[in-house]
Amino acid sequence: MSTPAPYFPDSNPDPVEALATQLRSRYAGRITGELVVPAKSGCYAPFPETLDARLVQALKGRGIGQLYTHQASSWASVQSGQHTVIVTPTASGKTLSYNLPVLQAALQRKAKALYMFPTKALAQDQVAELLELNQAGGLGVRAFTFDGDTPGDARKAVRTKGDIVVTNPDMLHQGILPHHTKWAQFFEGLEYVVIDEMHTYRGVFGSHVANVIRRLRRICRFYGSDPLFILCSATIANPAELATHLIGETVNAITESGAPQGAKHLLLWNPPVVNPDLGIRASARSQTTRIARLAVQQGLKSIIFAQSRLMVEVLTKYLKDKFDKDPRRPPRVAAYRGGYLPTERRAMEKKLREGGIDCVIATSALELGVDIGALDVCVLNGYPGTIAGTWQRLGRAGRRQRTALGVLVASSLPLDQYIIRNPEFFLGASPEQARIDPDQLLILLDHIRCAAFELPFRQGEPFGEEDLAEMLAYLEESGILHREGDQWHWMADSYPANSVSLRSVAEGNFVVVDATEGKQTVIAEVDFSSAPMTIYEGAIYMIQSAPYQVERLDWEGRKAFVTRTRADYYTDAIDYTRLKILEHFVERTAHTAAVAHGEVHLVRRIAGYKKIRYYTHENVGYGNINLPDQEMHTTAIWWQVDPTQLESRFASRQQALDGFLGASYAMHHVAAMQMLSEVADIGRAVGDGNARWFATVGSNGRGTLRDEEGKALDPFALPQFTPTLFLYDNYPGGIGLSEPLFARQQAIVAHAYRLVSACECEHGCPSCIGPILASDEVRGYSPKQTALGVLSLLADHDT
Amino acid sequence: MTLKSRLSQLQAQAGATPTGVPSVQPQVAASLQNRLGHLRPERLQGRTTSPQNKLSVEALAQAVKGEVISEGLIRIEACLPLNGELGIRSLNGLRDIPLLPGETEVIPGVYIDTETTGLSGGSGTLAFLAGMAVIEASHLKLTQWLITCFAAESALLCALEQAIPASHRLISYNGKSYDAPLLLTRFRLLGLPTSVGTREHLDLLHPVRRLFSKRWDDCRLVTLERQLLGFERKDDLPGSEAPEAWFSYLRHGNARQLIRVVEHNRQDILSLAVAHATLAEAIADPLRHKADLYGLARWLSEVNEPKALALLQSHQDRLCADSSRLLAHLFRRTERWMAAVPIWEALAKQGCVESIERLAKYHEHISKDLQVAWQYCAQLPGSTADRHRQKRLQEKLKKKTAC
Repeated sequence: MSTPAPYFPDSNPDPVEALATQLRSRYAGRITGELVVPAKSGCYAPFPETLDARLVQALKGRGIGQLYTHQASSWASVQSGQHTVIVTPTASGKTLSYNLPVLQAALQRKAKALYMFPTKALAQDQVAELLELNQAGGLGVRAFTFDGDTPGDARKAVRTKGDIVVTNPDMLHQGILPHHTKWAQFFEGLEYVVIDEMHTYRGVFGSHVANVIRRLRRICRFYGSDPLFILCSATIANPAELATHLIGETVNAITESGAPQGAKHLLLWNPPVVNPDLGIRASARSQTTRIARLAVQQGLKSIIFAQSRLMVEVLTKYLKDKFDKDPRRPPRVAAYRGGYLPTERRAMEKKLREGGIDCVIATSALELGVDIGALDVCVLNGYPGTIAGTWQRLGRAGRRQRTALGVLVASSLPLDQYIIRNPEFFLGASPEQARIDPDQLLILLDHIRCAAFELPFRQGEPFGEEDLAEMLAYLEESGILHREGDQWHWMADSYPANSVSLRSVAEGNFVVVDATEGKQTVIAEVDFSSAPMTIYEGAIYMIQSAPYQVERLDWEGRKAFVTRTRADYYTDAIDYTRLKILEHFVERTAHTAAVAHGEVHLVRRIAGYKKIRYYTHENVGYGNINLPDQEMHTTAIWWQVDPTQLESRFASRQQALDGFLGASYAMHHVAAMQMLSEVADIGRAVGDGNARWFATVGSNGRGTLRDEEGKALDPFALPQFTPTLFLYDNYPGGIGLSEPLFARQQAIVAHAYRLVSACECEHGCPSCIGPILASDEVRGYSPKQTALGVLSLLADHDT
Repeated sequence: MTLKSRLSQLQAQAGATPTGVPSVQPQVAASLQNRLGHLRPERLQGRTTSPQNKLSVEALAQAVKGEVISEGLIRIEACLPLNGELGIRSLNGLRDIPLLPGETEVIPGVYIDTETTGLSGGSGTLAFLAGMAVIEASHLKLTQWLITCFAAESALLCALEQAIPASHRLISYNGKSYDAPLLLTRFRLLGLPTSVGTREHLDLLHPVRRLFSKRWDDCRLVTLERQLLGFERKDDLPGSEAPEAWFSYLRHGNARQLIRVVEHNRQDILSLAVAHATLAEAIADPLRHKADLYGLARWLSEVNEPKALALLQSHQDRLCADSSRLLAHLFRRTERWMAAVPIWEALAKQGCVESIERLAKYHEHISKDLQVAWQYCAQLPGSTADRHRQKRLQEKLKKKTAC
């Protein structure tokens, strides 16, 4: 743990320092860790000599007389013809790093540039900024956004007149590349491609975007251009690697920021325990409002990040009740989240920049580079799920000359509790690696289809790392491509990009249709893989915290018909997941346990659902679900314990089973944390590895064995008992998660052990091994201890 | 497992619809085919075309009465004498087609239509059949080019480009938004020069919509044929089946449907030419052709106000409310108040707000009868502008009574 910075109340009137000190002294017991990042002065460099005089003029017009060192280094890198990625914190002037070379090329050579932002809002910000610089210098460079909001009659002007076109990956994928001939002039002159917020392109989305970039570069080659890529990213562990995977060529990384920074305090805050027996803590919400109230009272501009839109609204209400009681005064508290209209958002951003709002409560919608000016205090209501994401949000607070304070308030979820109780882990850890797998078969196949539509494939042409000829032959056999001589032509009456979503692997999304009072309105889309878990008949489906009940699910037609409801419960699907090991890639055996990485076949049956009442979380009923079994081939890692060790360690097979289920819960969450992925990207299961039986937590809170048909089995009656704990890549074919999981298998077990053993609960809770229902007396042993028993057996291997 | 079988398995698990890529493994598919063959031999024979019954390019050319002019490219030429007929129309009408509204000089045109591999657009869709027709002294000369492989597309485009005389414009049905951009894309993709993007282009769909969109269920060419040309196609292959017809020839050499596409395209071009002449007639005599008078008058008023006025005046006893309002508008533009006012009064009685406003304005500024102006003004619904006008009138009235 870092030592607090020396603090002298009389000599230092900084109000942020004062608040930090107040929190530290008043709530010492809740602060589990802290970090002080000292202030840093700026490092500057003169304008490069080659910088166009008109640009120098424009910069001076905006009050900029020199560059930060990272801006100067990226200039040099780009001018030497290297693809470049710039990794710098929020508000460090990274946009100038790419605007300078792009504007210079536009001014001197009429060169074109394509900017890609993950969201429309960011694209619009960027154009506004370019226009300001443009005006300051009278540069006459034309920058336009091109996205779904661009009106039809303006599109032609953008295509033919734009020097800089600002768009997003979806538009590039569906709107620009399939119509590249209309953009011929633009592609012929394309010299730069700018990809901002690169860190958002990871996982499935990133794997798709890497393929969209492959297609973009292929089209550029057709028009005789070979643009240079300039990328920008928030801090991640492997910016150069991610950039290289995204664009398929070596990228030079610039990671030293020259921008000045005020000091930063970070406090890790755990809500106090209110019920020691059950390990229940006060809510994160109550702590967050308390801290925010203190900050606003002391005149500090604050931002609160919440994990859901609903929580944003709740926190906003509580703080408005406190600070906006007088309706005649302009509001001091505001919410900012997805789902608001763009114009509302723009107005809110303007108010924030102008300092009209004292406290803003936001979802991750504000995490990306939307400019809202400088803030003093940032409170995170719950751990954002990744270290990189945490620092990005904390970066929202911080001014160049003044101290900023960040407070991470933990919720009761396992990840939060792990982070908060192991502050040295969080504070010392480097941010996560961002991973993509552009050669994931299904994703690659999708983009080969799209690319074939854009231009016929020629024999020997490169695209992806798999055997392209075999992929093309497959598409030829399925009648989508036609081979003629050494070319494969698109031969189908369809527009393939429309059926490829950049955000999923699966095809065939379901639409949710609101049929309330005879209406027929589509209100949401659910992707194929999550449909069985979320829109079964009887399910309560939430949209913007409004509950709808699924009345009918048309599986073939991919439609769910819902009606508005006022149910006071939500539903939770009971899934029976059986895995069969197909192939071992690697295996390591040690004294008590073995761990392996390989291919598995998964069969998931959604057998029924529970109705759970709000607030009390009591189970108020069950329903049956009749859906076809879901099958999936994917990759996984799995652990098995030597049967004799297992017998000697546990009094009964039942206890061992409970131990495996508890351990899997903890390991699942730790694995997600280790992998910079969502919890849902990884699946967990306990079974025998041959799909003969699998285990679930039954309604009595105890592990239950079931056979293929879902019938309960008695663990004592089994001739052989080798429980296997699986963590699998939850996408058909896998998106490359299981290999790095295997590389971290020891860390996963070790961290899971620490998570469970350090938990203050008595016998287990949602923060460590998952909720327990049956009381200890009934069971006769502690589920927490059995989980620790399994974890220690697993940890023992390979020693 | 081979890449291929992994792919098909994964696709199925990811929810690919069975109509797309076959979700069974190829080996399985083969044996499935065998088993089907035992069960229903006759059907299977029809589906798989052996090399023997694959129709050669030459035989296909013969079947469509064309000739192979280069590898994979068939040209079909035909001359239709202008003393012939199409439905209830004589081709004679093509000799001197009157100018359409807005046209100032006679520009000869080529009637053009294409059949494509898809209807969704984008660079992966191409025209496998292009047809055009020009009017010559005594006949309509029709030329079609059909390709039988992808490689022949360049030759088709070059032939088409060369065949369109420099002085001619393009005349099409929905070609401005469909055929022309698609051809332009293909010319660019193959690196060929073209005048398609710069030529004048008359798209008959737009005038047809102006005259008939309120009269007919839709403005498709087949509807036009039924309504205006007085015939219905027999045994026509719907345009939407054209892509599959061409694919089927490429895959299996099965030309049965493709031959019908050639006929369909020929019919389209012929109808297009006759529709042009008939449309000109309908403009001259809208009632006889059951055209929408208002649509025509609006079109005329955009390009030639006196003509629009003349048209509406000559039908003044049978105008709909919209047309009446347009007529009054045209009277007002020429300051023929005595003609405009009675129309507005009649419309005002039916509650037409615009006419009430016109009357309020007229009486305030032209006739200067403020009392009457006030009466009309008071009937207005009360928008900001209305309230403003009411206030101003009240003040004027006050001043007047004060005098």
